[in-house]
Amino acid sequence: MAVSQHLNLAPPLVHSGRVDELIQQGQTLSASLSPSSNSLAVFVTSTATRVQKADHSEEQPVYFASIDATPSSDRRLFVSDTSVIFAAFRNLMNAAHDESLEWLQSEKNYNIIRKLAIDYINHIKECWIHVSQPTGSLESSLQFSSDHYRSLYTCFSLFVVLYLPEFGLDDAPVGDDLMEWLNTHFIEPSTEEGDQLSGLERPWEDDTFWPYLTRATLRGLSKASVFFLDILSKHPSEDLQRLSKELKPLINSQPNLQNFSAERDFAYSSRRWNDKVKSLRLDLDRVPEEDRHDGFDNWWDRVSDIVGVLEGREEVILKICEEIGGDWKEVAVAWGVFADIRLRRQDIPEIVGQVLDDMPPDPTNIEDMIHSALFGGQPAKALEFAAKLDPWLAAHLADFMDALNLIETEAEEESGVSLRDQYTLEYADYLHSDSALWRITVVYLCSCGNIGKERADEVILRVPLQLRRRKDITVVSSEEERIRAGDVVGVLKEVNATCFEYHREEVRRTICRIAAQIFVEDKDFGLAVSYCASAEDWPGLGRVVDRVLEEYITNGPAHFARYVADIAPSLQALRSQPGSPGVFVHRLMFAVRYAGFQRRRMDLELQDAALDLVAMLHEDIAPKAWWGILLCDAVDFLQVDPTLLFSYSEAITLLQTLQEIFTRSEQNSGDDYLSILIRTIKGGEKEALDRLKTVRLWLARYFARCTVIGVGGKHVTERRSYAVS
Amino acid sequence: MIQTGLIQSAHNDLVTHAAYDFYGLRLATCSLDQRIKIWQLDESNGNWGAEDDWKAHDAAVSRVCWAHPEFGSIIASSSFDRTVKIWEQTPMGAQENPQPINGTQPASVLSSRWAERAMLIDARGTVRAVEFAPHYFGLKFASISTDNHIRVYECLEQPSLANWLLSEEIDILALPSTSSPSSVSLAFATPTQTSATLEGASASLVAQALQQSQSQTGVQIRPGMGNREADGGWCLSWCKDRYWGEVIAAGCGIGGTVKIIQLSPSRRPTTLLVLDPSPTPYADEGTPPPAPAPSITIPATSTTNDSDSTPAPYAITSIAWAPSCGRSYHLIATGSRDGHVRIWRVKPGDEGGEPEEGESEGKWTASVVADFDHHKSAVGSVEWNITGTVLSSAGNDGRIRLWKATSGNVWRPAGSIGVEQTEEQQDADVDMDDNAAAS
Repeated sequence: MAVSQHLNLAPPLVHSGRVDELIQQGQTLSASLSPSSNSLAVFVTSTATRVQKADHSEEQPVYFASIDATPSSDRRLFVSDTSVIFAAFRNLMNAAHDESLEWLQSEKNYNIIRKLAIDYINHIKECWIHVSQPTGSLESSLQFSSDHYRSLYTCFSLFVVLYLPEFGLDDAPVGDDLMEWLNTHFIEPSTEEGDQLSGLERPWEDDTFWPYLTRATLRGLSKASVFFLDILSKHPSEDLQRLSKELKPLINSQPNLQNFSAERDFAYSSRRWNDKVKSLRLDLDRVPEEDRHDGFDNWWDRVSDIVGVLEGREEVILKICEEIGGDWKEVAVAWGVFADIRLRRQDIPEIVGQVLDDMPPDPTNIEDMIHSALFGGQPAKALEFAAKLDPWLAAHLADFMDALNLIETEAEEESGVSLRDQYTLEYADYLHSDSALWRITVVYLCSCGNIGKERADEVILRVPLQLRRRKDITVVSSEEERIRAGDVVGVLKEVNATCFEYHREEVRRTICRIAAQIFVEDKDFGLAVSYCASAEDWPGLGRVVDRVLEEYITNGPAHFARYVADIAPSLQALRSQPGSPGVFVHRLMFAVRYAGFQRRRMDLELQDAALDLVAMLHEDIAPKAWWGILLCDAVDFLQVDPTLLFSYSEAITLLQTLQEIFTRSEQNSGDDYLSILIRTIKGGEKEALDRLKTVRLWLARYFARCTVIGVGGKHVTERRSYAVS
Repeated sequence: MIQTGLIQSAHNDLVTHAAYDFYGLRLATCSLDQRIKIWQLDESNGNWGAEDDWKAHDAAVSRVCWAHPEFGSIIASSSFDRTVKIWEQTPMGAQENPQPINGTQPASVLSSRWAERAMLIDARGTVRAVEFAPHYFGLKFASISTDNHIRVYECLEQPSLANWLLSEEIDILALPSTSSPSSVSLAFATPTQTSATLEGASASLVAQALQQSQSQTGVQIRPGMGNREADGGWCLSWCKDRYWGEVIAAGCGIGGTVKIIQLSPSRRPTTLLVLDPSPTPYADEGTPPPAPAPSITIPATSTTNDSDSTPAPYAITSIAWAPSCGRSYHLIATGSRDGHVRIWRVKPGDEGGEPEEGESEGKWTASVVADFDHHKSAVGSVEWNITGTVLSSAGNDGRIRLWKATSGNVWRPAGSIGVEQTEEQQDADVDMDDNAAAS
């Protein structure tokens, strides 16, 4: 089927069958597959290695094509509606996983399975009816014809009739059920024919009369049969009048299994009814040869056929079906109603096999092939054809077949997937043609073991997080932006929730890392930090903090403090989170503390700010690269007069820090200590050291002030001890 | 199969490669016109619009690829100008100096928002492919050039993207492997064979092109390079699976084999396995050589004379390592100039087992699970979908072909795409019906 799938793109580049013209120009096609759906970008490329630009420019197109058409709105509705049933069925199956085999076969659970199957049928039927309605808006956009859904309807119904009978009836005669199925889906003879015939004065003179009556009988349509047998009371032949009168009660009284509580009674009643048919045959045979023709037709032959059907004569049923244009289904079903009234489900394949030898199914009609495989007791083969009709059908039938052990449930060695999973994966592949259906795609994929789950990973990962939408809009009010941001987090949250539901932790973390990256680019540092934390991406967290600190370097303290305000709340949560590596949290802590310091400084809370500053150095919170910055910040505080903002020992801390930078710089490690300062003053190491020398000067003056004010004493001792050390 | 869109005029010269971003919402295309363009999908109507367009290289761009989005919006491009460049999309508004990144930008086109962050100039030949490593190995990429070297670069400073460490430089041919193709030396054939194997116009075109590229890049090209450049294939693909560490499959020159190379921070790169289809002697099959399209440069028969036992090698033009997606084995697809698309099933060796000395490739095993010659002419590229369930291949028959695994793990054709005029040009409905019946 797929082999014949060829698409020619428009606008064409060459005439039909002249692809060699393209090749002769040194051109051919190449393609790239899209990760979001089953589509490709196709472009014209060169057949040989070519380095140079063409002499003249020529417009080169890029085409886009899709393996499957994106489901249209009606199809999408069908797909999503039925996915709900699928999920319910999977829940039952998951529950069954922990229970014994008998648990699933209990009446209660069997009835649930059957009910879900019937739910599918009802949905298909609804969809069929919906699609059949000639609404103007739909007709041109119909992706699947109503006939397509009719096919699904017949196939799924047949599956239920044959393989999912009412609880306890799997070993009951199946004839009536099959006849009901046939009459529901393949209505013959047509109502129009009946209407037309009933309007005639002498319908038996019409060519269609006898075929109509015969077929109505064959189909067990007793009302129609009796109606026209009634009309035969006006037939000129007295024999026929009498016979039709006798036939009527017979047809009306054919025993129907549904009316019996025990099969034995049904069989007994059927035997007695058969006896009556036999006596009618005797009656029929007594009609003299010359009275058997009414001038139009040999009515006797016709009546004989009808009686033959009632007698259950196999050759008559076969002959009639051929004459009236019936197919193997009609024969097989009539067989179960007339020839072998106690026909069991397990015997159907044998009977159907014989019938199919005489009347093979139509190989060009996939629906017919599915029917014959189902009748023939070949569920796996039915799936093969179902997959060609619609991946939906194969997937959902396989789901039941697997649960009912109708197909091989073990994973195939080579591919590692079971038959059920294979068809489910194929359907999921189809669903993937519409990226909007990712939730449903994931539901189906995740029902297929590890292979399915890992495929689901790829689908989940590629759900666009839509975090960038606001960029498209040039003017956005702050409120709009908030709403949009909220919306944004909604999508991300949903993806996250899906990962939790199916335990796809690795995927969730990757998504969080991607989100964090996007938030960083948008300077949404608060969100970035929380997503890094959620992904437990500590190096990533470190990078976010670096980016925030970078804000200080490029845009100054005010910007910086504002951004840190976003990330500060995360710090508390992070410190209490077990397993968060200190080094990155430490860096975050510094950013928060430093921003706090800057804010106090701007608010002129100088005493507190000074305390903060020293504490950051004293408690070892400030990274070495930032020491220089902090010391330069200290200058302002050292200059404040007359208050001494630093205690003597605090001033000593500043001096110690300063000294270490100078010492290390002499040892060629200046880069570790000065890099940030160098960047902020936009100079080199020399300029940075010069700047620090000013700090030393101010510190010296500060110590002098300390002495003058007379806070010496103890501090002097400390100072001496420092000098000694 | 159904057509879903069209960019009427994407480039002013043939497109060399196109790559979707991680989400399939943007498409990067590169061309012989030396430009890279970024296209954005408008999800509301399915149309593709130009987002960016800039001159990226001084010669044809051979390939573009996207980095994983957790590193930001980054692409790498490789070129016949012997460089690989790293581009980053700069956030709007953050661009304080809106000067164009390249002077050639016409004022009418929107100014580029992609900034060149690094240029890697180590290659001593044209760079034919570049691919980022799977994201769990960090921001890292591998390139392959006609000097038969794989170069792996690792980003040292992530926010700035300016510093890249050349962490591996692997001479593929020199890398030991027990079944090293013996015929590699014939790559350096005499220049006369170039015109012998190529037909008229095309041959001169290539020669001319190479000559021009030579004068343009100002680099001397060794004699004989022409034949090799035209006949060879240089391609690579990373193993997408984290479990096996950093593994690359690569093919180079006109040797028809693929080496699977393990990279390790502590050891020198080792060859895990060589994929070699040559045990099947295609020459003996009696099949006619691929259709005589001018571009198909079957290695000249004279080259086989010096090694009678070895069938003529065909360059591997493209390798694609499928995402493993829960499979217990790897799938690697190759496309080659012999017109074959092959799918290899590669089984890794015993877990945790250290490769023994000289026995390293015995650990991994491979078999061909599919071999298609439908293109009947050189295959230019192969590519997997994200789940490794659909393979696309492109050949010099002007067709894109798709392949899918069906029941029993048998790979089968799953459709094809061409650009020929159809009988009924308005065939959208027909396609839909086909789809309904066939899908």
